[in-house]
Amino acid sequence: MKRRSVLKNLGLLTGGLMLMPSCSFLEKRTPIALNNLQIKIEEEELMEQLIAVILPEDNLKGGVSLGVQNFVWVMLDDCAEKKKQDTFLNGLRLFNTTVKQSYGDDFEGLSSEEKYTALTNMLNNESLNTDLIAFLHTTKHTAIWGYKNSEYYLSEVMPYNLIPGAFSYKTKTIDPNEKININA
Amino acid sequence: MPNFNIDSTKKNSFDAIVIGSGMSGGWAAKEFTEKGLKTLVLERGREVSHVENYPTTNLMPWELKHANVVPEKIKKENPIAARCYNFKEDSQHFFTKDKEQPYIQEKRFDWIRGYQTGGKSLLWARQTQRLSDFDFEGPARDGFAVDWPIRYKDLAPWYSYVEKFVGISGEYDGLDVLPDGEFLKSMGLNATEEYFKKVIAEKYKNQRHVIYGRCAHITETKDIFIQQGRGMCQTRDLCRRGCPFGGYFSSNSSTLPWAAKTGNLTMKHDAVVHSIIYDDKKEKATGVRVIDGNTKETTEYFAPVIFVNASAFNTNMILLNSKSNRFPNGLGNDNGLLGKYIAFHNYRMNISAEFDGNLDKTTVGRRPTSGYIPRFRNVYKQETDFLRGYAAGFYANRIVEQETDAIGPDLMENLNTAEYGNWRVGSHMMGETIPKEESTLSLDTEKVDQYGIPQLRINLDYDENDEKMNLDYVEQLTEMFEVAGFKNIKANDSKKAPGLDIHEMGGVRMGHDPKTSLLNKWNQLHACKNVYVTDGACMTSTATQNPSLTYMALTARACDHAVKESKK
Repeated sequence: MKRRSVLKNLGLLTGGLMLMPSCSFLEKRTPIALNNLQIKIEEEELMEQLIAVILPEDNLKGGVSLGVQNFVWVMLDDCAEKKKQDTFLNGLRLFNTTVKQSYGDDFEGLSSEEKYTALTNMLNNESLNTDLIAFLHTTKHTAIWGYKNSEYYLSEVMPYNLIPGAFSYKTKTIDPNEKININA
Repeated sequence: MPNFNIDSTKKNSFDAIVIGSGMSGGWAAKEFTEKGLKTLVLERGREVSHVENYPTTNLMPWELKHANVVPEKIKKENPIAARCYNFKEDSQHFFTKDKEQPYIQEKRFDWIRGYQTGGKSLLWARQTQRLSDFDFEGPARDGFAVDWPIRYKDLAPWYSYVEKFVGISGEYDGLDVLPDGEFLKSMGLNATEEYFKKVIAEKYKNQRHVIYGRCAHITETKDIFIQQGRGMCQTRDLCRRGCPFGGYFSSNSSTLPWAAKTGNLTMKHDAVVHSIIYDDKKEKATGVRVIDGNTKETTEYFAPVIFVNASAFNTNMILLNSKSNRFPNGLGNDNGLLGKYIAFHNYRMNISAEFDGNLDKTTVGRRPTSGYIPRFRNVYKQETDFLRGYAAGFYANRIVEQETDAIGPDLMENLNTAEYGNWRVGSHMMGETIPKEESTLSLDTEKVDQYGIPQLRINLDYDENDEKMNLDYVEQLTEMFEVAGFKNIKANDSKKAPGLDIHEMGGVRMGHDPKTSLLNKWNQLHACKNVYVTDGACMTSTATQNPSLTYMALTARACDHAVKESKK
């Protein structure tokens, strides 16, 4: 096993060396494979930063560790109409300029608290550019959707049962002390 | 060479040919093979074996790449199929793609097709309500279409026969408007549906009923289901993926494997029927002309009896395209009525509301059926300014809400909790439409499909009777919801085109008289008695009930007749 992983790393190393002579290549992320959208690595990184603020690690696992950012991209890439994709990307590309105007730095440069405040304010600001508003709200609701559709959420937070069994549908009297499972 | 021809004729000869392997074709296959007839079933689509070819059936929600949303590219390529409520990421492979079979819409008609083993029986809503004499006597009483040549008593034993094999979960409601059948245990209405049932029975003095919708799901273990290899419904409510338990009825899980077991079944896939061969000298149909879906080669198959179960509109197409010296306008079409008097079910309106009672209760689990309101309009006598009436679905479920206004830690907290809201209640209409002479199917004189078969022209629309019925449905259901104390009542016109009900019917209607109908009371073409039509095309009127159960019962009855005739 060890030998195999060493070989794998070697392969990665040499491959990386051949492709990118820069010494920062180890930090480079593999770009997400999309069918339609042309996005930059920085835009992927920005999405991840947004997901980290919307769905942070808490008592529950956070959105980033569940790969919710990839869900947002895939849904937008495959399931949104061209017009919605254009609006989304346009909004995304206005995001950092707008953040800089109000907060003096790119989103990435802000502290955790500042990020949270900036994003909350922007989500509630109806006077922003309409594409930017659409981008923010699409990101938020798709992220929540992806989170609730994740294996973790459907197994540990609100468990989904693929095979409930015969006669499992019934009316029950609510026990106020029992946690409500939205997938029960 | 003549020897070769005789050999090929022999090789391609059977005791019976069934065109189509869906809901009714599967039944014809079962009945004939059980009675010892070497039977050829021709399916124009690909092979879908039970369980084996249900690729999504055991996927967890997160294993569907797009959370069960159909990608835009597939939707764009299939605007018609994509309008079907059941066309999802986990089921879209069971829908015929638009480009497979173009057709001409004189008025918009969303034709939903399922070309594969089992046809649309994989995708149906599994509601199985019997017709009653209020339906069979409808056209004669109200003066539209023609009189049905059969009555409830003719079909009742065949309903029972079919139901025992299919497995129908239901309750014995004792209603004349919706006769009881052979029922397995009910999965039950929930507390709020029961409440509505009680209120409506009291207020309308038992003239309107809310019942548990009878459905083709196995809810009791019985020998006949074990023999089919089918088990109890596990209430997954994922039927559209194909059921690995065979919990709901499909040709794939039930009739076709049953037929195969007899050793008398020959099943051909990718077999697109071009036409039925009529022999002017023998004065009967002798076989079927089939185009191979892949090679486009034509082969002829022969049998003394032919069942056309290609789905309502395809059955019309095949008969219209079966031209001979004797029948220049299509097989059996002496009166020029073939392809006319088609109709459908009007599913346009729906209504929703909230109920703030039963707040100490909720439901758990998923249920593959819902409540059902049998027709109550114009049942015993004509009482409105429109003909006939509508049945309706009825369902209630507790609203469970999660607050998602915040982001960050507050959102995470909210996603870990939920709150109960009111109950949400809803209903949709299933209106009877009137078959009219101007509602037609015909073959285009120029455009053909990839097999060289003329394209179908569909000319069908809502009419004034439907519009009046829409208004009445909204009025009556609003009143019924108000009586029950439901709040925030909202009616909605979905504006959906005909076709999305997937209950298209007629064109080859049954009747007493060869001058005014195509089929007799045994579903034989009046003018070509060894050809039977027992799918939706045979329907004289539509009634309000989900029609599949009736097609199955008519098929079993017609098969019995055909076998008895052959022994004479």
